[in-house]
Amino acid sequence: MSVFTTIIKQLINGLQSGSIYALVALGYSMVYGIIMLLNFAHGDVIMVGAYIAWMMMARFAANPIIALIAAVIGCTVLGVLIEKAAYKPLRQSPRISLLITAIGVSYFLENVAQLVFGANAHVIPTFIDDTPIQLGQIAIPTTALITVIVAGISMVALNVLVKKTRMGKAMRAVSEDAGAAQLMGININNTISFTFAVGSALAGIGSVLYCCAYPKATPTMGSMLGLKAFVAAVLGGIGSIPGAMAGGFAIGIAEALVSSAGLSEWKDGVVFAILIVVLLVKPTGLMGRPMTEKV
Amino acid sequence: MAAMLKVNDIHVYYGKIHAVKGVSFEVNEGEIVSLIGANGAGKSTILKTVSGLMHPKSGTIEFMGKDIAHMEPNKIVTKGLVHVPEGRRVFAHMSVMENIEMGAYILGKAPEEAVEDVFTRFPRLKERRKQEAGTLSGGEQQMLAMARALMSKPKLIMMDEPSMGLSPILVEQIFSIIYELRESGVTILLVEQNANKALKITDRAYVLETGKITLSGTGRELLEKEEVKKAYLGG
Ligand SMILES: Nc1ncnc2c1ncn2[C@@H]1O[C@H](COP(=O)(O)OP(=O)(O)O)[C@@H](O)[C@H]1O
Ligand SMILES: [Mg+2]
Repeated sequence: MSVFTTIIKQLINGLQSGSIYALVALGYSMVYGIIMLLNFAHGDVIMVGAYIAWMMMARFAANPIIALIAAVIGCTVLGVLIEKAAYKPLRQSPRISLLITAIGVSYFLENVAQLVFGANAHVIPTFIDDTPIQLGQIAIPTTALITVIVAGISMVALNVLVKKTRMGKAMRAVSEDAGAAQLMGININNTISFTFAVGSALAGIGSVLYCCAYPKATPTMGSMLGLKAFVAAVLGGIGSIPGAMAGGFAIGIAEALVSSAGLSEWKDGVVFAILIVVLLVKPTGLMGRPMTEKV
Repeated sequence: MAAMLKVNDIHVYYGKIHAVKGVSFEVNEGEIVSLIGANGAGKSTILKTVSGLMHPKSGTIEFMGKDIAHMEPNKIVTKGLVHVPEGRRVFAHMSVMENIEMGAYILGKAPEEAVEDVFTRFPRLKERRKQEAGTLSGGEQQMLAMARALMSKPKLIMMDEPSMGLSPILVEQIFSIIYELRESGVTILLVEQNANKALKITDRAYVLETGKITLSGTGRELLEKEEVKKAYLGG
């Protein structure tokens, strides 16, 4: 194989994992935008989505589309429940309490998963016929293609939601200035719940796409994926929706390029090096806005 | 005539800080009423309490005969009481048009004639409707904040220091807009540090000092009072 086809192949890999990072990063960014919380339980929502997909397909022999829908619904409900049960009572508390609670929720979910499903990986049956599509010299794996397309459609839908719908505009207004938004008649609690629902639904989609590439569910699978998506959100500018998308793809492609240079064991290190560099050089990220404190 | 807004002996706290100490006042339909007082007197706190952003520890607030003291702000807006907060608080990263639409949030879709009406009042905003609100000048942002508040067709509009930080020409313009608003039937509760200007367009006013009302009267009466002249009108 020529160097060129290797690079193309890695770029396709990068786009595939980048799509997943982007979907997950959106949840971090939207939640941070609206309540200034780094929701470290977000990665574990993905883990729960993967178990739901596994249960549906392996236990109930459901078709993959049904499994996807079940995972999305499950993640959405879980995300909203976490917000209502764990974060809402702390709305007036210092932000550090909220952050620590999020870490607590993360451990809680991981341990419950381990209790219920055991520590071993559950293998998810392959559900996509992975004969690659041949484009001249280059073989594009079907999973990569489906992942990029599904993620792309989800992001376009999110953009329409946020830009055009009443609820989407309310979300942006609350992110900018919750007090002023309330004075417009916007119900803050509903808007925050809605934001968690949307972020978690995207995580649900992300989890099924992730399972296409790595078809296993384990209790801790969400933590590394979540951390990398978090780095993507910071790179793009936390709070920014286009930033999260760009950051996700950038991290995916950076990983792939490192792998194509034959340094795949350095992949994770490079991602966290990016985090450190961003925090040192431009903490607001590529598209972030300088944070102003609001009353 | 029954008062449209009736605030009765409210006490408001920030944690342990007792910011408003037993304030009572009324606003009647069709009036412009002003609260004047030095920085830190508690003017903004009173408006925030009336609009529901804060709640009084004791005392009552009645708007059109309903007790609203413990209602949430998003509910209070639907009763026809809007608050243009201090510092304008426009949504800086949303367009001018989107800000105006947010003002009609409780109505669902922004009614076209309401949009027309604010664009007639504020032609500058029409020219800039596609621009991000954060890129507007201070005076334009104040106009946007007022336009946004008018979109829900309020009965009573509360404005917190609308002239703050504006050039004299713009101050003049803002006050004449307030005056016109009243002419078109909106009742106004105005908070100002610019006592001179405020008292001139005001029907009645209350003077606030460290959380308490110390004087009240018609705008003209207060303009004549020695203690007002000394403290708020520069001699
Ligand atoms: N967020 C806050 N936290 C604590 N104290 C506050 C806060 N906002 C205002 N205060 C205090 O409450 C008092 C009244 O403030 P405010 O209503 O803003 O006055 P004004 O609008 O008349 O300038 C002041 O002593 C001020 O320091
Ligand atoms: Mg004030």
